[in-house]
Amino acid sequence: MRPSLMKQVPLFIVLLLFCIVNLTPVAWGFLTSIRQPVDAFAVPPKLIFEPTFQFHWEIWVDKGFWRFLINTAIVSIFAVTISVSIGSMAAYALSRLQSKAANGLLFSLLAMRTFPHILLAIPFFVIAQALDMIDTYPAMVMAIVALNQPFTIWLMRSFFAEVPGELYDSAVMDGCTPWQTFRRVALPIVKPGLWVTVLFSLLLAYNEFLLALVLTRQGTKTMPVAIAEYGAEDITYWSLSAAAAIGIMLPILIFMLFMQRHLVRGMAAGAVKG
Amino acid sequence: MASVTIRNVQKSYGALSVMKGVDIEIADGEFVILVGPSGCGKSTLLRMIAGLEDITDGDVLIGATVVNDIEPKARNIAMVFQNYALYPHMTVRENMAFALTLNRTDKAEIARRVDRAAEILSLGALLDRYPKQLSGGQRQRVAMGRAIVRDPQVFLFDEPLSNLDAKLRVQMRTEIKELHQRLKTTTIYVTHDQIEAMTMADRIVVMKEGGIEQIGTPLDLYDRPANLFVAGFIGSPGMNFFEGEAKGGQFVTTDGTVLPLPEGHQTLSGKIVYGIRPEHLTVDDVGVAIDVHVVEPTGPETQIFGKLGGQPIVVALREGPAVVPGETLSLTPRLDRIHLFDATSGRRLEVTTLGRAA
Ligand SMILES: Nc1ncnc2c1ncn2[C@@H]1O[C@H](COP(=O)(O)OP(=O)(O)O)[C@@H](O)[C@H]1O
Ligand SMILES: [Mg+2]
Repeated sequence: MRPSLMKQVPLFIVLLLFCIVNLTPVAWGFLTSIRQPVDAFAVPPKLIFEPTFQFHWEIWVDKGFWRFLINTAIVSIFAVTISVSIGSMAAYALSRLQSKAANGLLFSLLAMRTFPHILLAIPFFVIAQALDMIDTYPAMVMAIVALNQPFTIWLMRSFFAEVPGELYDSAVMDGCTPWQTFRRVALPIVKPGLWVTVLFSLLLAYNEFLLALVLTRQGTKTMPVAIAEYGAEDITYWSLSAAAAIGIMLPILIFMLFMQRHLVRGMAAGAVKG
Repeated sequence: MASVTIRNVQKSYGALSVMKGVDIEIADGEFVILVGPSGCGKSTLLRMIAGLEDITDGDVLIGATVVNDIEPKARNIAMVFQNYALYPHMTVRENMAFALTLNRTDKAEIARRVDRAAEILSLGALLDRYPKQLSGGQRQRVAMGRAIVRDPQVFLFDEPLSNLDAKLRVQMRTEIKELHQRLKTTTIYVTHDQIEAMTMADRIVVMKEGGIEQIGTPLDLYDRPANLFVAGFIGSPGMNFFEGEAKGGQFVTTDGTVLPLPEGHQTLSGKIVYGIRPEHLTVDDVGVAIDVHVVEPTGPETQIFGKLGGQPIVVALREGPAVVPGETLSLTPRLDRIHLFDATSGRRLEVTTLGRAA
């Protein structure tokens, strides 16, 4: 059934306001990044100015921020790959086991999510230091995976839970081993959900600040830390920071554009219904 | 193809016993239907035959082999599920080929078998579609195609038609029966619908609360139900039952109406249940009078709902009689079609001359 126009219009207005509220800082950041600091901080705001991409060039090329972007990319790709593969296997197993132990495990995972990050960041730092792994990719990747795992497992489990049990019976009758049932039946069915999970864990990994702050130094520093460290003192640096912040949005935007079709399907309809 | 033997099979979930010693012998090529009310254990039994459920006690044999500990794929059984259980991410062709792909059958052989199954079920035009692009009846056929392709020893069906509309159900009923006549594969079919059971089965197994009430051909069950449960379950509209007492060569209902007893039972005495199917009552001036409450013409017959004394009665007559609600109608039961049951055990009291023990 199509909602009536009367219902659509108010909804549309609410969503529009929501978008405006959310996008204004981004737009402001973009505007800041393409004009001189003096213009950016003029009161009242100066609406007519000469746009320049000088700061984008300066931050990415002259100041070598591309290195931090590569660090971020390396950490994110490994973290997402590991966390989504382990997460979907664990989620599949937990969705099929209906024992008390499985439920207990799920709820302890949820409890872990409620810990403040800083509570976990300190032990991670201590562990990494003890293992002499500060400022290494594996330390960052493992810490992020550990942090994201409850979320990936819960999210994937909700998608697996929608797969009708008959399909598994059918797979067994057709001769699937447990692994084949997972890999050739369950996983392809929840594929839209898998992409949603990939996106969310990518965002978590890509934006992770606290862990990066304690676990990385010059060698593996990621974008969020690099930007935060930069130019907080002097407003002449703000245009540069803004250019960096706008720049790191791009890869995620591009990823979302490519994935859009899968994502909408995964988020809207549930993964399974055909 | 193979016979299937179920020998004293029991099933418990923890302390809860849902099946207590079931025995069935199914001959090679036979079409056997398990029927019974919801929750009586039909699916559980079928799933134990398939290997999807552990057998708590007893044996399941396929051919001469005990398969209790043999995994499902090695039992060479195909199963059609109630909700079709088609893989949504595979085309019809891929769905049908899946089992063969898994056991690495030669590609050309897979194609040959899929095409043959598609031809049998007229699925040729649909092979490249996905399940969501099919109607309910088409999905049902694909599910059957998937079973056929494997060329199994036994087909199992678990309420395969219950999600189809009435008209399609009748059509698919015929198709499944035709398929069986063509392939002659041993088939075990579960349904809660007694009409489906009556129309399709070589033999019917009537189940109730995890046990077997009676096994027999559709006409066995119709003509000589072993007990009150089977008598009431088979036939539509259901058999009329009257409680009362046999004395002096007659049956007297609890509210005093007198009905004739069949030959061979005149010496009977004591509390019994008297059963007569709606279609085995005839209009007869010297019969017993019933109060007519509702008259429902169905086309081929007219169903009359009323009261005999204080007890409800349904009558199905070929020739619609000229009665209207509020009137009375005089009827006689056909003597050769009367069923008598023990009032306490519910068992059939067999007319000795028919020689069939209850
Ligand atoms: N996993 C289970 N755990 C406990 N009881 C079950 C389970 N599966 C089925 N049962 C019980 O076993 C009985 C038979 O179920 P089922 O075979 O599905 O009945 P049917 O197919 O005849 O409707 C029912 O009483 C049901 O509640
Ligand atoms: Mg069932």
